[in-house]
Amino acid sequence: MSPLLEAKGISYRSGGRMLIEAADLSIAGGSFTIVIGPNGAGKSTLLRVLSGEISPTEGEVRFDARPLRSIPPWRLAHGRAVMPQASDLSFPFTVFEVACLGVEGIGRGLSRGERQRIALDALEQADVAHLGHRNYQTLSGGERQRVHFARVLAQLQAGRTVETRQVLFLDEPIASLDLRHQLALLQTAKSLAQDGLAVVAVLHDLQLAAGIGDDLVLMRGGRLVTRGRPESVLTPELITEVFGVSLVSPILPPSPWTLAPTATRPLATGAP
Amino acid sequence: MPVLSRRTLLLTPLILLAASRLRAEPAHRIVSVGGAATEILYRLGRTDEIVGVDSTSLYPEEALKTKANVGYVRALGAEGILSLNPTLVIASEGAGPPDALRLIEQAGVPIIRITDEPSPTGIAKRVEVIAKAVNAAEKGAALIVEIERGFARLAEARARVTRPAKALFVLSLQNGRPLVGGQGTTADAMFALAGATNVASSLTGWKPLSDEGLIAAAPEAVVMMNHGPGGAASDPFTYPAFAATPAAAQHRLIVMDSLYLLGFGPRTPAAAGELMVALHPDQVVAAKP
Amino acid sequence: MTALALERDDFRSILHDRRMILFTALAVLLVLVSFLGLGLGATGVPVSRILSVVADALTGRVATGGDALIILQVRLPRLLLGLLIGGALASSGALMQGLFRNPLADPGLVGVSAGAALAAAATITLGDRLLTPLLGPLPFSALPVGAFAGGLLTTLGLYLVATRSGRTSMATMLLAGVAFGALAGAAMGLFSYLSDDRQLRDLSFWSLGSLSGATWTKVTAVAPFILPTLLAMPFVARGLNALSLGEAEAFHLGVPVQRVKAIAILLVAIAVGASVAAAGMIGFVGIVVPHVLRLVAGADHRMLLPASSLLGAALLVAADTVARTIAAPAELPIGILTAAIGAPFFLWLLLRRQGGVAL
Repeated sequence: MSPLLEAKGISYRSGGRMLIEAADLSIAGGSFTIVIGPNGAGKSTLLRVLSGEISPTEGEVRFDARPLRSIPPWRLAHGRAVMPQASDLSFPFTVFEVACLGVEGIGRGLSRGERQRIALDALEQADVAHLGHRNYQTLSGGERQRVHFARVLAQLQAGRTVETRQVLFLDEPIASLDLRHQLALLQTAKSLAQDGLAVVAVLHDLQLAAGIGDDLVLMRGGRLVTRGRPESVLTPELITEVFGVSLVSPILPPSPWTLAPTATRPLATGAP
Repeated sequence: MPVLSRRTLLLTPLILLAASRLRAEPAHRIVSVGGAATEILYRLGRTDEIVGVDSTSLYPEEALKTKANVGYVRALGAEGILSLNPTLVIASEGAGPPDALRLIEQAGVPIIRITDEPSPTGIAKRVEVIAKAVNAAEKGAALIVEIERGFARLAEARARVTRPAKALFVLSLQNGRPLVGGQGTTADAMFALAGATNVASSLTGWKPLSDEGLIAAAPEAVVMMNHGPGGAASDPFTYPAFAATPAAAQHRLIVMDSLYLLGFGPRTPAAAGELMVALHPDQVVAAKP
Repeated sequence: MTALALERDDFRSILHDRRMILFTALAVLLVLVSFLGLGLGATGVPVSRILSVVADALTGRVATGGDALIILQVRLPRLLLGLLIGGALASSGALMQGLFRNPLADPGLVGVSAGAALAAAATITLGDRLLTPLLGPLPFSALPVGAFAGGLLTTLGLYLVATRSGRTSMATMLLAGVAFGALAGAAMGLFSYLSDDRQLRDLSFWSLGSLSGATWTKVTAVAPFILPTLLAMPFVARGLNALSLGEAEAFHLGVPVQRVKAIAILLVAIAVGASVAAAGMIGFVGIVVPHVLRLVAGADHRMLLPASSLLGAALLVAADTVARTIAAPAELPIGILTAAIGAPFFLWLLLRRQGGVAL
């Protein structure tokens, strides 16, 4: 199968600075790609270019073999969802309404009730169903992030009625989550990837990245330094060179945490 | 007894109204919009026929106390006026909004617009038009003669003014910034009638005057209104620029009633005479118009 | 049935019921206020007479007499103009707030009021001097038409200033609008300095917002602009909902962001431009009505836009009814009344809420 997402020689220049320089990247369905790198490496900009939010100054991004910029926004929204880094809401929407934003206008042949069911399912998956009636503006940072995760899950679910090849972008999705919800969210994303979605995430926690991603992209100064399996990317030499830190032990230790089997509700499984 | 007298005062118009109903010719029900129009109607003895006046009809004082108030001259409502069941509306040129007046006309109520021209001929024209509209031609003619006589006496007195006072009319004084009457204003016309020189005549209309302009104009007297925009007159000479004028040296501040001074109605000859005496205390001895 | 399933039904039915109750309440309020507007006035006309006159007019027979004139030529056009303008100002306010992602945004933010005011001042002051010698006396409609055109042109100008390579920056538009507002204020000052007494008078008639000059001509001139825009506004509601997440997020959700912005700005410019041209500046409706509705029924623009039209129409007609009856036969400026009715209610809603309101 052709790669779901393919970037060829993309550069992005803004205000006289090269934020991304001559990057080539292809992402296949069913993969969990994690973009890592120090601050200012261009990780979020790469995500913005790949998701179609901004057009590269040079080069081209193709989604399912079609040029990204030729796909109209409504069509693209069926095959691509983006969870933002942080999102303020200007008006007092309820959590349920925010989740519904993910399904409005997305999908074909869905009744009103079905759309609302998709939104409710997604809220449960992200463990925020109990907040359904709450005003989004009164939530904590972590709760807000989970609500947005629910929103993108709902968008993908509704979009699946039209587009089966989908990409999910996560920009630092676990930055303000507690440990349990960090693991739960990544596991949900992982199971989506196992069901055939391409998942592209920006993460700062290298141990979590190594544990969950099967494909790591290391960036520095707008360039892709290397890419591949976690063990080939996260070598002590590269870590020292790119991040300026050195390992205490000879190899990167695995993340010491995993979800407890008794964790209240089942949080994973999202595929139809 | 005060109670009785007040009641009598209130009842009088009603009795008179009832009496006027008995006349052969049906009486008008007049809404009068504009201070001068109301004043003239009162002088023509049509007091009982007035059913409503606007909020600028400040003289005679009983007008606003005994007649319905139809609001500010520039913010009239068609239904409000029509609710008084008028047979005639007399309105100054400045009355509006135009659409409200048009609706009143559509309702079959004639509207007589009277000129705002600030001059003796303007006053005569107003009296003439109003007198004709309310069938008081004789009284109107007599009033015009009286007014013209007043102006003639004023002219005689004015002839004795050998050295016209340099005067400045201050309409309002917001934060020490004076809004003064230039050419074409009622204040300018009053100065001319009072034999004075308007030091702000280089300006046209009501304009703000700068501190330096004020000092350069060097007024010998400042005239203000006690009922102008911004309420009662405040002492202008506390402001440095005013304090530097010749007027401040002799503390020459003349404060007069706004409608009396600028209304251009039947009382204008008297007002101009008073102003003349106040402006030229050593040249004119109380002219009696 | 599990507890979870119950909870789900709960969500849907509550949402549904709430909206039904809200719109029913608003419709009842609007009808009630309209009846009061038609029934109350300086002239006492019995209700039965009002109904028969209106019924006659609807069946094509035009009743005659003073009462009929008051109802058909004075109160009815005024009622309709109030409904149209109240609806236009309130829903435009809601639209602007959604577009600027700021609950304090005012329908005038896109420059339409300032542009209309400036054009009106220019028409009054310069029209006489420059155009009358060429074209003869200006028709009476020159002022509202000039104001409407001025409002639209200003908004278009600001839109072009704020748009770079196909993307409109709302922040730039806001700042450009503030700059233009200052410029327009200065120019208005200059025009009023240049005006003679009569021109100043015309200017003050225009700038005192009022429904007092309502005529059928005005109603029929304004309705073709305001009604279609009110009906079109809900079509951008989904876009505005998504936009409240941010422009990037709205794009990710498939919303054609630039088109939504352009359409929303155009709708507001037309609705507010027509309102300002017909009745001058009437403040407060555009800010307080959407706020009240958000406090009562949430932020969803699919509810907010039509509900704002209804509540705005009701508020303006109520305020106008009070304005023309409380000091009858005199009238109060309507701006005082919209604030006097709207503000305490708004404050009460704010105080009733626990924990304050996040902006």
